[in-house]
Amino acid sequence: MNLIRLSLRTLRREWRLPELRTLGAALVLAVAALGVVATLSARVEQGVTASAAELIGGDLGVSASSPLPREFANHARAQGLAVSRIATFPSMAFASSSNQLVDVTAADRAYPLRGKLTIRKAEGSPVIDAHGPARGTVYLDHRALNDLGLTPGQSVQLGGITLRIAGQMVSQPDGGQLVAMAPVAVMNLADAQAAGLLGTGSRAGHKLLVAGAPPATKAFASWVKPKLAPGQHLLTPQSSQQRMRESFDRAGAFLRLTALLAALLAGVAIALAAQRYARRKTDEVALLRALGTPRRRVLGLLTGTLVGLAVPALLIGMGLALGLSQLAWQLAGNLLTSAPTTLPWLPTLAAAAVGLAVLAGFALPPLAHLAEVPPVAVFQRSQQRRVHRIDLLYLLPVLVATGLIWMQSGSNQLGPILAASLAGVVVVALLLSAIMLWLARRLAPNAHPGLRLGLAALSRRRGLSLVQATALSLGLTALLLLGVVAPSLLQSWRNELPADTPNWFVLNLQDNQRADFIKTLHSLGADRLNMLPLAVGKLVSINGTPVDKMHLEKGDAKHWANRQLRLSWSARLPSSNKIVAGTWQGADPSRPMVSIDERWRDMFGLKPGDHMTFQVGEATLDTEVSSVRKVDWSSFQVNFFLLLDAAHAGALPHTWIASFHLPRGQSQALSGVVRKDPNLSLIDVNALLNRVRSIIQRVTLAVRWVLGFSLLAGILVLVAALASSAREREHEAALLRTLGAHRSQLRTAAACEFAMLGLIAGATAALGAAGAGTWLARRVFHIEHFVPPLLPLLATAAGAAVIVMLIGLAGTRRVIRSSPLLLLRRG
Amino acid sequence: MALDAVDVSKHVTGPAGRIDILDSVTLRVAYGESLAIVGASGSGKTTLLGLLAGLDTPSSGRIHMDGHPLHDGDEETRAALRRQLVGFVFQSFHLMPALSAEENVMLPLELDGATEARSRAREALDAVGLTPRRGHFPHQLSGGEQQRVALARAFVNQPRILFADEPTGNLDRHTGSDVCDLLFQLNHAHATTLVMVTHDVSLAERCMHVAELDEGRLREPA
Repeated sequence: MNLIRLSLRTLRREWRLPELRTLGAALVLAVAALGVVATLSARVEQGVTASAAELIGGDLGVSASSPLPREFANHARAQGLAVSRIATFPSMAFASSSNQLVDVTAADRAYPLRGKLTIRKAEGSPVIDAHGPARGTVYLDHRALNDLGLTPGQSVQLGGITLRIAGQMVSQPDGGQLVAMAPVAVMNLADAQAAGLLGTGSRAGHKLLVAGAPPATKAFASWVKPKLAPGQHLLTPQSSQQRMRESFDRAGAFLRLTALLAALLAGVAIALAAQRYARRKTDEVALLRALGTPRRRVLGLLTGTLVGLAVPALLIGMGLALGLSQLAWQLAGNLLTSAPTTLPWLPTLAAAAVGLAVLAGFALPPLAHLAEVPPVAVFQRSQQRRVHRIDLLYLLPVLVATGLIWMQSGSNQLGPILAASLAGVVVVALLLSAIMLWLARRLAPNAHPGLRLGLAALSRRRGLSLVQATALSLGLTALLLLGVVAPSLLQSWRNELPADTPNWFVLNLQDNQRADFIKTLHSLGADRLNMLPLAVGKLVSINGTPVDKMHLEKGDAKHWANRQLRLSWSARLPSSNKIVAGTWQGADPSRPMVSIDERWRDMFGLKPGDHMTFQVGEATLDTEVSSVRKVDWSSFQVNFFLLLDAAHAGALPHTWIASFHLPRGQSQALSGVVRKDPNLSLIDVNALLNRVRSIIQRVTLAVRWVLGFSLLAGILVLVAALASSAREREHEAALLRTLGAHRSQLRTAAACEFAMLGLIAGATAALGAAGAGTWLARRVFHIEHFVPPLLPLLATAAGAAVIVMLIGLAGTRRVIRSSPLLLLRRG
Repeated sequence: MALDAVDVSKHVTGPAGRIDILDSVTLRVAYGESLAIVGASGSGKTTLLGLLAGLDTPSSGRIHMDGHPLHDGDEETRAALRRQLVGFVFQSFHLMPALSAEENVMLPLELDGATEARSRAREALDAVGLTPRRGHFPHQLSGGEQQRVALARAFVNQPRILFADEPTGNLDRHTGSDVCDLLFQLNHAHATTLVMVTHDVSLAERCMHVAELDEGRLREPA
């Protein structure tokens, strides 16, 4: 009790010390940044998951080619989940004067559980939200109504029964999936069952959709997974779309990177502040020890003071995290998540726990050493300076930092890359500092007196200079990563989906329709047209061995070996492809060639020079693998696993497939083209594009919210690093003034010192941020063509060096102006 | 005249009103002379030393060092005078902890832009018998050794006036006596004017003149 009171009394006396304030502020920032990131990322993830769930129509689904067992639905209901069942199949719709093949979704009244089914009750009336149609009714989309010459309120015959058209379907949850887009009808599931449309022999696909609280959904997924029969698949938001999954991963990585850097920066600031506090307390501890205070009690007193400081700092940090995440939600709630959320206590408490770990990890080692100051140090100051060069305690911050990186990185790439980059920054900073200090020592004797003093001071205060330069480099690297590289990475990500990204696909275009179709597209203002031939064939043999005789271990390989393959050819390498092995076959190679995607290389163990034989219609084509390609499947362009050479494949039977960008508002006109050429299949990927864009927007927003904290933490590191030598500097300045140094000499010396530190830190940070940024872009964010913004990086690094100098000079202004008489007063 | 202080007063204003630290002090020190300033704690010794050395300015009165006024010049001018004319020895030595003994001695020379700073510092260290320890840092030296480094630093640029503030105050009697001998020996060798604040009567007695301060007033004219 006594110890607690003493600790609190010490804290009350000392809380105005700059190092304790830095320590407290760093802790507040760490907790606030971690808390806000945890909360925002949880909400962004909820939002993104919800957005993906809208594609499925539920939080989770099971799909199958035959009706799903009742047990599945019953179990889901027992878990408290909402359940909906749908079936999809093609069917002919008949009106009095015409008929049309339509894609039918037969849904129960609960459909959709997530996302929106929107309809218009009549032509021109407002769009309203709807659920599966009532029995005896149907919704038809605009194309179906047009093709059949019908309007809402009239009747249509579908699957042998007559249904009243209750509305024009405007959108449905799974819109945007890459399926052939025939006109769409949504009817009642019970009607479809009654009409025998789902019986044995039907081509219907069945889905069971569930939605509810995340734990219940998760429990249902775990329960149903082992029960899935062949042909039944689990549909999760994450697995539903390759493109969405990539966006998910990137989104998470961005947020984690920001939080991680903020926490590490706070850790560095805490370590520096604690070191400085320990130095200040040395005399006092020596006195306490001399007066007979046991080591354990000294440690208890120091820990008590630290805890006394930590508790309010943690509370303030938590309050800030809660307040700001609520504010962010109020301001941009719709963008973060559409699902209702409660006050995020758990992530905030977790952030406080991590903050406490950071405090303990970074502050305890210097304070624990302080307790070891021997009582004799009260007489012999030299005893205070015994340095424990190899000390297990100093592994603690390394352990905490490693734990943080491991915990927060969440992917097996982000953590190690960041850790290695920061370790690299430390090594480069130390090397560069050592070189600069060596140079300083060589240059000092011939320099201007002021410069000489600065250079000499820097090289003579070697240990402290190295620590300062390293801490500044780490702080600046993190700041440049957050302030310059991260926005540039986000911009690169956005640039992958520019405004004119292809938003429509067309399939089944015949040779004789090509010219007209291209002309129509131009007249509609479409651009970015990317058209490739499409032939359907089979893989016959690899290197002379028939595929049915090959022992294929990988399930995927078996699947692809037995199925119809989509083949294409091109004279030029498509823009979203990159050769990773071999050379591009060109327009007219001497023998038939094929370029394969990386996945095919991995599935079949192929390499350039291997032979693959394909059967396309009656023709057999024996090809040599010319190259292996890395394909950017998220580019929204037409891409193929297998690309033949144009010269030898040109005569194979084929149709054409194209992607293009169609300006907004032209889709109606495009549907006119399909009416003229009914064999064409048009696919609208606008919905999917918009969803990916919204993820990017959400992440950018969340990163921006957290960035402020991280930048503050970075500035705190800079200030703490520069303040770490303030005491030595003050004593030095007073002595130098007494010995007759000009103010200008002191100013020049200080400017020279800080400029050198700034230069080292700026150069290291620019290198580190560019290196880490490129590495992260390639490995974590999968942004292939990312070029670090070198000019802004260099400019910011130079600016930062100047700022370091200015902060340093501002810090020494008081010292330079103080009366040298102070030295006499101190004895 | 090395130092000429006429009617020097110093007062500060605190929460309880004006406090007079020095009151109409007049003293003169000729070149080559030595003066001990003695007095009880709080009598104004250190303040007087600071004023005479140009570390502070008086509230009233005039002080000249080597004919240069200290009372109306700015801090930069006084700093220049200190650099050219003055050496210091402190009770707590005040060596730069990050600098070796030799580098500490080089410091005043570096400030003055002198050439051959290193060789001159070595000579000065040799004169105080510390050549073998010139690469050692202050925390590796005993109190006596640190004060000898401080003496070497004080004399290295051959100051005309040396100010010493309780130079043996942190040393044992034996070491203090050694350091004191060295101080006077160097003082004699360099014909330096010495102004020293001390409590040590035996040390004061070795000076040519003694000025005793009592509550800011000079008891005996110097």
